Amino acid sequence: MIIKTKNLTKEYEAGSQIVKALNGIDLSVEKGEFISIMGPSGSGKTTLMNIIGCLDSPTNGTYHLNERSVSELDDDELAKIRNEEIGFVFQSFHLLPRSTALENVMLPLKYAGCSENEAIKRSKKVLENVGLQDRVKHSPSELSGGQQQRVAIARALVNKPSILFADEPTGNLDSKTGNEVMNLFKDLNNQGQTIIIITHEDNIASQSNRIITIMDGLIESDTRN
Amino acid sequence: MLIKESLVSAITSIKSNATRSFLTSLAIIIGTAAVIAVIGLGSSAEKALEQSIDDLGGRTLYVSPGQNRRGAVTKGMIPLDIKDAEALARNNEHNWRISPTITRNRQIKFGNANINERVGAYLPIHFNVRGYDLEHGRLFTEDENYGRKRVVVIGSDVPGELKTNVKNILNNEILIAGVSYKVIGILKEEGSTGWQNPDDELYVPLLTGAQRLFGTDKVDSINVGISNDHNIDAVMMTIEEILRAKHDIGPGEDNDFRISDYSQFADLRRQATGIFTALIAGIAGISLIVGGIGVMNIMLVSVTERTREIGLRKALGATQRVIMMQFIVEAILLCIIGGIIGILIGTSLLFLFASLNDWPYALPISAVIGSITFSALVGLFFGIWPAKRAAKMDPAVSLRYE
Repeated sequence: MIIKTKNLTKEYEAGSQIVKALNGIDLSVEKGEFISIMGPSGSGKTTLMNIIGCLDSPTNGTYHLNERSVSELDDDELAKIRNEEIGFVFQSFHLLPRSTALENVMLPLKYAGCSENEAIKRSKKVLENVGLQDRVKHSPSELSGGQQQRVAIARALVNKPSILFADEPTGNLDSKTGNEVMNLFKDLNNQGQTIIIITHEDNIASQSNRIITIMDGLIESDTRN
Repeated sequence: MLIKESLVSAITSIKSNATRSFLTSLAIIIGTAAVIAVIGLGSSAEKALEQSIDDLGGRTLYVSPGQNRRGAVTKGMIPLDIKDAEALARNNEHNWRISPTITRNRQIKFGNANINERVGAYLPIHFNVRGYDLEHGRLFTEDENYGRKRVVVIGSDVPGELKTNVKNILNNEILIAGVSYKVIGILKEEGSTGWQNPDDELYVPLLTGAQRLFGTDKVDSINVGISNDHNIDAVMMTIEEILRAKHDIGPGEDNDFRISDYSQFADLRRQATGIFTALIAGIAGISLIVGGIGVMNIMLVSVTERTREIGLRKALGATQRVIMMQFIVEAILLCIIGGIIGILIGTSLLFLFASLNDWPYALPISAVIGSITFSALVGLFFGIWPAKRAAKMDPAVSLRYE
């Protein structure tokens, strides 16, 4: 069991009102699963990803990541978990514009305290795995959207995370490149990588093994293909 | 490796906002340039002063007439005369060189030129006491002094003032107050000491001046030359003893002469320079602080602009400490670059001013290290708050910042 949450709730203060983004989520994820989380905007799917991605802490409930309780960890401990256990891929790629592809991929390794030579070696290997071995020294502006997203995926994978989170990973790509990225995810999943994709597109979700729908901060449906 | 990453990120950020970075560090640049130029000028001026004191060939005490007071009654100026100087010269306890002087302005004529210039009557030893060197011809001798010969040594500017040149005036006669004197020597350029210009002066033997030119044996002052290792207080006491005995001053009565120390003038000047330097350096320091506020301001802008980058770095595992370091390094780097440019500009200004004034070029290395350190501290101090703001950002919120 990689992820196990129990009665996860999250409340925000918006002015004088308290907004309940999550209303008690019970979720279990096994190693090797390929999951899509769907739901309309405001449903709480992003909040859920923030919490299980250790970017945010729940108001109530428990969250165990790899059998370890993370709901009460402090900022630095959460940063360490994000560095070692979680890889993020974003809709808008979020690459550092003035760094090369290689430097972007090396960043998590630097935060992990890896030596420069080791970081270069490992980053080149991962860039090769996503098919960008000849784009290593290019800056993001010299790469196509699909190539940029593959750099971001390489960066998410470089620290061998337990889970790969992708938030609308194909949202900024045309359908052809989107498919290439989805094929890359499927390959990675076939190699045993646990992946959670947040999406609102049915044809993306249908390519995963399990679809979870969120509505008003609760799991509405949880189906396996 | 993280420090290197912070440095690389800081350099990238500064380079990508080159104009903004330059404008931000302008106050630091100006402040540092001012500090360096002023401190450098201060020490150059001091060094110039020390050199001119060294040129005097040791220290010179200056004995001048004073007022004789008995109770509240002032009996007017009691003059010093040549006999006082002779009495001092007879004592050789301190191995001093006694040089009495009488100076007056007199009309000088050569050819058609007619000027009013200072004429001084001195012993031959005077040139040695004041460290004046000869450029052309020769100095007058003891024999010429005792013989009251009409010979004159002139300062380096005098030929020009008499609208002639060295060749025409040397070994020729000039008229001093209507009487002809033979120009036997011309001094090297000495430069003004601040209260008199030896280059403008004409020098005649003491007894010649006393009898032929000025008609008095009252001297203006007596220079007492001693070497640097003498105890100045002991020397002053000996002078006092001799002159008090000579002037019949009883116990408990005040001296009717004054002894001053040339190096006291130097000390005063040094003090004034020091105060001035400290004042300007202080103002420049304020400019550095103001610059620091500018840096803080632009760092806050930079933090806000890079909210998404901060969110991303945090998502990838950067701790608060790492983010904080990144922005502090950037602020410090901005200030240090400003400091270095400032030092280069300040040094150039200093070089320019020093060569214009013919001063030796002196810049204490401590001023350079000090201003770099101070710039770095300004960056550190004013970088902390923006960096803390960056570090405290919520990763989930900042990732989605538009």
